[in-house]
Amino acid sequence: MRPLPRRSFLKLLTNSLLTFSGALGLGGLARFFSFQADPPPPKEFDIGPAMNYPQGSVTVLLQIPATLRHTSKGFIAVSMKCTHLGCTVEKPGETFECPCHGSRFDEFGKVTRGPATRDLPQLEVIETEDGNLIVRAS
Amino acid sequence: MTERARHPILRLRSGRAISLLLIFVSGFFLLAIPAAASPVLDSITPTATAYTPPTPTMYLVTLTPTPTLAPTPTFDVSRLDKPIVDEPPSQLDEGLLVYWGVCMACHGDTGQGLTDAWRDSFGEDRDCWTSKCHASNHPPQGFEFPRLVPSLSDKGTLLRFVNAEQLYQYNLANMPWWDPGSLTKEKALAVTAYLLKMNGKLPEGVTLTAANGQFIPIQYTVMEPPAQSNLWKYLLAGALILSGIGIGLQSVQPHAGKRPSFILHLHPPTIPALQARFRYTLGAGGLAVFLCIILLVTGLLEMFYYIPSTERAAATIQEITFLVPYGGLVRNLHFWSAQALVVVAAIHLLRVVFTGAYAKPRRFNYILGLGLFVIVLLLDFTGYVLRWDEGIRWALIAGTNLLGSVPKIGEGLVRFVSGNLEPGPAMLIRFYAWHLFGLAILGGILMIWHLFRVRRDGGIAATRVERIGNPPDEESAPTRISRAELLRREAITMLVAGGILLLISTFLPAPIEQPMSSTLVSLAESRAPWFFLWVQELLKVGDPFLWGVATPLIVVLLLGLIPYVFPRVDESEIGRWLPRSGRAAQLFLATLLVTIITLTILATR
Repeated sequence: MRPLPRRSFLKLLTNSLLTFSGALGLGGLARFFSFQADPPPPKEFDIGPAMNYPQGSVTVLLQIPATLRHTSKGFIAVSMKCTHLGCTVEKPGETFECPCHGSRFDEFGKVTRGPATRDLPQLEVIETEDGNLIVRAS
Repeated sequence: MTERARHPILRLRSGRAISLLLIFVSGFFLLAIPAAASPVLDSITPTATAYTPPTPTMYLVTLTPTPTLAPTPTFDVSRLDKPIVDEPPSQLDEGLLVYWGVCMACHGDTGQGLTDAWRDSFGEDRDCWTSKCHASNHPPQGFEFPRLVPSLSDKGTLLRFVNAEQLYQYNLANMPWWDPGSLTKEKALAVTAYLLKMNGKLPEGVTLTAANGQFIPIQYTVMEPPAQSNLWKYLLAGALILSGIGIGLQSVQPHAGKRPSFILHLHPPTIPALQARFRYTLGAGGLAVFLCIILLVTGLLEMFYYIPSTERAAATIQEITFLVPYGGLVRNLHFWSAQALVVVAAIHLLRVVFTGAYAKPRRFNYILGLGLFVIVLLLDFTGYVLRWDEGIRWALIAGTNLLGSVPKIGEGLVRFVSGNLEPGPAMLIRFYAWHLFGLAILGGILMIWHLFRVRRDGGIAATRVERIGNPPDEESAPTRISRAELLRREAITMLVAGGILLLISTFLPAPIEQPMSSTLVSLAESRAPWFFLWVQELLKVGDPFLWGVATPLIVVLLLGLIPYVFPRVDESEIGRWLPRSGRAAQLFLATLLVTIITLTILATR
């Protein structure tokens, strides 16, 4: 093997050091941007005592956002976050309509008109020991 | 071209070059090895608890209890013993007794909250939410349990109270849970004092009273710096400096027939070697440009996390400093580059005057440079204000009131410059706008203009004599250097200066204080930033307008007049240190410099 001339060796050494610095800088930058400044949005919502939502009632819970129905089969919560691009759907009557791009859903969240293709998901509702309702948002 | 034109000092033999490099490599590893001894990557992850801004938590529920518990709890029951206190008990002792009797059952013996381990102290009733005492079907003498009993000693729990007064009022009105308002005022004060002590917020030897509570801050504090390994910072600094040396040991390869790259194209094809002697220019102008680039990049990075609101400004600076990975480094780099820029710009100004380089045709560029210097000072001041913590409070108030002392237009000037007469949201956002946009854009434009004028005025001032060396001799020095050589020198300077800045920023943290608070009377830092200390000292003399506004303005004006009033520097003397025909200007600037330094030293006493 032909020995590397000093000049080329020095150049190689310098260039690898420069590459190494660049890689370190980029790595540091990636770590810098990995910080999450605000807490993630809450996943569970305590919506108070179940007795506040009597049989047959329909309540819009904007903080989730979801609609809570107390039917004969129990509590049914339907998410009001449009499955298209996340706008909060409006509830003029029994159906949901998205103000952003006009998707429509029936009262149980089934898509009746595009552009959304997935139904509004039903959210899990839990009744706690002390009678409060918890809605799980995801 | 191989043995071409190099400055004598650069003519190192390769053997010597390689041994030099080896010395630096070994020195570098000596530095890096102690750092490497600590665990590497994991320890870089910040360990401090995030500052939790006051978020609406009313509907955020943590689902306790956890379903299963250890079947045979082992609990050291001596933890429940009544604490023994001195007679007569101090306020803290009384607080401890109140805590033991009233609070401990739920909040834990060390303020840890209702943890699983603590609930073991209740024996078979340890599953509180289904126990006979605290479920929803509790007997009359019991009570229903809150879902979550917060820890009192965690960093962050007490942060929603601004000061001791608020915590005291909260305890008085809302605690204990089953009988709010049952604490007497004395007991509430005592237990509040105990809680402050538990969180390290009670100043030594202070007895909490209803009157002094508002002066004892809770929220306003500086986080503990997380334990961090500096290994990667050492590695980067070392690699930068070593590659600078590596470039320094190589000579420029001529790029015959190649068109210049963009960076090369920004430089003139060749410049006279006399203009680029380090001992003449001190490299100050180039270094200032480099520092501006660092400031731009690190400032941009800080913008990603800084929130310019009076509530969040200081808190987000703490986040950047202590929680964001390498955020502290970014902030320290920004800070130290800014300080260095003032020094480097001042050296540049001194060099220009002491070498007579201000003379025609460079008079206008001298004015541009002076304008840049003023902008750098203003940028430093506005950036300093953005910390919005107790450390800048008096400088901010004194600075704005100083502007207000201008006769007739003072108030209007303050409103224009700082948005409002009192510190508040309007003032903070105004300084933010000045720092990030107004001054930065203006400075950028002036900088480009300044650099353009250097070329337009025929490069850096130097004698027209084309050779140095006495007697003139072909070997002594090249007459002109190529732009590749110029770029090489710039690269060396930038890499070495960058590495040194990185080391400084690793070891010396930028100042930070507790967030500014309207309820806190702080005597913390009442000094102006160091480059305005001389003005602060002048202000002690008398009338604020005369000494604080007019005098500094006159100083700037006099500096600006140097090329216009002092006699012309002799053409043959330009490009040398201390030309004889420039004595008057040199004397004037030296006097000014000594005066400013003296005033600064007086102010630090």
